[in-house]
Amino acid sequence: MFSAVSTMTDGDYDYLIKLLALGDSGVGKTTFLYRYTDNKFNPKFITTVGIDFREKRVVYTASAPNGTTGKTFKVHLQLWDTAGQERFRSLTTAFFRDAMGFLLMFDLTSQQSFLNVRNWMSQLQANAYCENPDIVLVGNKADLPDQREVQEKQAKELADKYGIPYFETSAATGSEVDKAVITLLDLVMKRMEQCVDKPSPDPANGGGATKLEDAAPDQKKCAC
Amino acid sequence: MDLSLLQALEREKVLEVLQRDKLLRNTEEDRIRKLKIELQEIRRKGAKNFSLQYSERTCARCQRPLGKFWNSGAVCQGCSHRICNRCRVGVSNLDWKCTVCHAYREVKIKSGDWFLEEKAKKYPHDTDSHETIGEKLLKSYQRLSQIAVVPPTPPPYYGSPTFNRYGEVKSMKKPFTKSMEDLMFSITSHVRKFSKSQEDLRLKQELLTVDKSRRPSIVQKSFSDTNINTSVINLSNVPSLPNLFKKGKNDDHSCSSSGGDEELSQSSENSELKRGGSFRSSGADSGFHEVSSVTGELELTVDFNDTTSCLEITVKCCRNLSCGDTKRKKCHPYVKVSLVLETTRCIKLRTPVKRNTTDPIYNEVLQFPLDRSLLTQSRLQATVWHSGTLKKKVFLGEVVIRLDGWMFEDGTAHSSCWYSLSPKPECPEGGAIESSSSGELLVRMKFSSLSQPTWDCHTDEVHIRLHDVGQLTVVVVGAKNLPAKSNTSQNTYIKGYLVLPGPRELVQKSPVLKRKPGPEWSHQLVFSKVKPSELHICTLNLELWDHTPFTRSDRLLGGAIMEAESSWRLVSQAPNIWHDFTLPVQTNAHGRRT
Ligand SMILES: Nc1nc2c(ncn2[C@@H]2O[C@H](COP(=O)(O)OP(=O)(O)O)[C@@H](O)[C@H]2O)c(=O)[nH]1
Ligand SMILES: [Mg+2]
Ligand SMILES: [Zn+2]
Ligand SMILES: [Zn+2]
Repeated sequence: MFSAVSTMTDGDYDYLIKLLALGDSGVGKTTFLYRYTDNKFNPKFITTVGIDFREKRVVYTASAPNGTTGKTFKVHLQLWDTAGQERFRSLTTAFFRDAMGFLLMFDLTSQQSFLNVRNWMSQLQANAYCENPDIVLVGNKADLPDQREVQEKQAKELADKYGIPYFETSAATGSEVDKAVITLLDLVMKRMEQCVDKPSPDPANGGGATKLEDAAPDQKKCAC
Repeated sequence: MDLSLLQALEREKVLEVLQRDKLLRNTEEDRIRKLKIELQEIRRKGAKNFSLQYSERTCARCQRPLGKFWNSGAVCQGCSHRICNRCRVGVSNLDWKCTVCHAYREVKIKSGDWFLEEKAKKYPHDTDSHETIGEKLLKSYQRLSQIAVVPPTPPPYYGSPTFNRYGEVKSMKKPFTKSMEDLMFSITSHVRKFSKSQEDLRLKQELLTVDKSRRPSIVQKSFSDTNINTSVINLSNVPSLPNLFKKGKNDDHSCSSSGGDEELSQSSENSELKRGGSFRSSGADSGFHEVSSVTGELELTVDFNDTTSCLEITVKCCRNLSCGDTKRKKCHPYVKVSLVLETTRCIKLRTPVKRNTTDPIYNEVLQFPLDRSLLTQSRLQATVWHSGTLKKKVFLGEVVIRLDGWMFEDGTAHSSCWYSLSPKPECPEGGAIESSSSGELLVRMKFSSLSQPTWDCHTDEVHIRLHDVGQLTVVVVGAKNLPAKSNTSQNTYIKGYLVLPGPRELVQKSPVLKRKPGPEWSHQLVFSKVKPSELHICTLNLELWDHTPFTRSDRLLGGAIMEAESSWRLVSQAPNIWHDFTLPVQTNAHGRRT
């Protein structure tokens, strides 16, 4: 459904889609985005100062209802990277407001980073453009099975509670990275259509898979 | 939220990212503007012919007749007009929209307006939520750093003030893959090749701390992004170039008060033909305000009457106007129509005010005496205003119609059309409607030619190359006889566009200057990467802007252009010395959004 475009000629695109990666420091947000845009892996840990972004252009093929492939569109992706550190918090959360979709990341080798997913969810609810934005949950560093601290089942349950897709990725090998981003992009593209087609006066009830309010995770079950 | 909590070096890093974001935003704004102009065109072409509406037997979009039982058309869900089969776009027989409604929907998605609307639902009290956080931060920082952003002194060697926030970053965008970390990565991997030690670790740390004095020179030349950081930091320690910017004489700025001006504009609206001279933009009227969101449509008929040799504009009515006075829930709208001929002559006529309505009906014929042959060079601007108390006007929207493509023969002219009203900034020609020359800018410029080493990066390899590039430095040293309205403004700044063949455009902006007796923006606009050969075919646009913190967009006070080949030759043939020019100021030259 999506394929990469090599050229980034200015202004020659149909949609500008802004996505944002968030999660604890060190879970691999920067590395993940670098893998997605440049298909490379940088094993060094360079702290992101506040915020940063990367860009990539992809082609989106709208699927017609009868199953045939429809028109193609060029999508310019602006992928915001945020610092997970607490002291940048007020800066980074301010940027949540301008993103159309979110990659909420944790580190499969760090239980703590997974526990903090809930806090990041609250941050999103408070600061994103709407109460139920499109989010994809990403468990990164799947290439380190010996160090794994978070089980797939556990993470999947949490994602289901929030009603969001879940992927286990590796920025080191590139596994599932594209899929996670593309799934999010697809959600956002669908959201745009929904927003213009049924202008529901009550945004709280108007479409969208994620329901942050009802889906506050059960403390007893999750804080194992 | 501001950046003051960050350490200086971190702040510079963040600012670098915000500058890159601004470049993308500029591209995006241009794209959206084009989209909206196209939409306007589609609407114009497919506007319902209301003179025939009661027959109900024509397609609202193509005006083809519809049958009673056969090919009888169907009602569009979006606009409730009857539409023929051909003018429908959609997925199925049941799920379709008319061409105009479809185009409207597309633009809403593609422009990102859907997102702004959603955001506004969550933050209804945030009046400027259309601005991104990045934009706000950058603006607030630029305001704060007015003092710091004095003219930079060139770094000690190869004399290149890298204080080029826009141009430099833009041109660096291509060879590098744009993220801070990449840059570091590519350089560190390069250095490892040369110095085969843990050097790179140390280097990396130094990059992070941007310590210019201790950094190996190899890095200093390598990428402009860091240079930008360092140069910004250095600025505060650098004395400004003292003798460059002598105070301009405080020329007779008090010659006309804005009160007198307002009267002039009032009288000129009284159905009179005026030639040349002192037209003021309707947007710059002293009691001028704009409603927060422009809505509604205006119905006009455009026709040329050969017997009287008049262009006849029938202002029929408006519907769904925004309320001009939201506090008192009052709206007294009138329509003003300006006809611009060859940009020098302008005729303005207006309708009477209709009271207490957002759906006024005028049916007023406005006649513009004019030779038919001049039609092709003309443009019409119709603006809708709320006439408030104490001469206070509120701008309710505008429509710009080019007459060059208008078919006055084929009958389309006789039918009326609905035009949707646009806010000022979205209509690029809007501000250009009335133009006149007044005042002068005193400009000083210098071209420095230099051979500069630049770095190209291909995956892991780094190559050093010498480029024959130059740099154009422009300083606006003063202004003379500016129109009165620019004296009433409190905060002005200069924006410079250098348009090079390619086409390539470099943008530079001075900091906002607090009002002083004589405006001088003694700030250097530096355009980098200009080849000497390009210089004599380039165009420099200098715009004088009024920064209005509480409105949606800044106000363009005037602009000056330098494009004469002879002048450029002078600059390029005698490089490295300052040349003085006096450029005439056009008020309301083609405005751009900030
Ligand atoms: N093995 C492995 N290491 C990773 C992966 N993703 C990131 N890392 C490493 O984890 C560290 C932190 O990554 P970074 O992207 O800077 O984290 P951020 O703070 O979330 O931006 C770096 O040393 C990366 O090389 C992965 O998928 N697998
Ligand atoms: Mg990071
Ligand atoms: Zn039709
Ligand atoms: Zn319609």
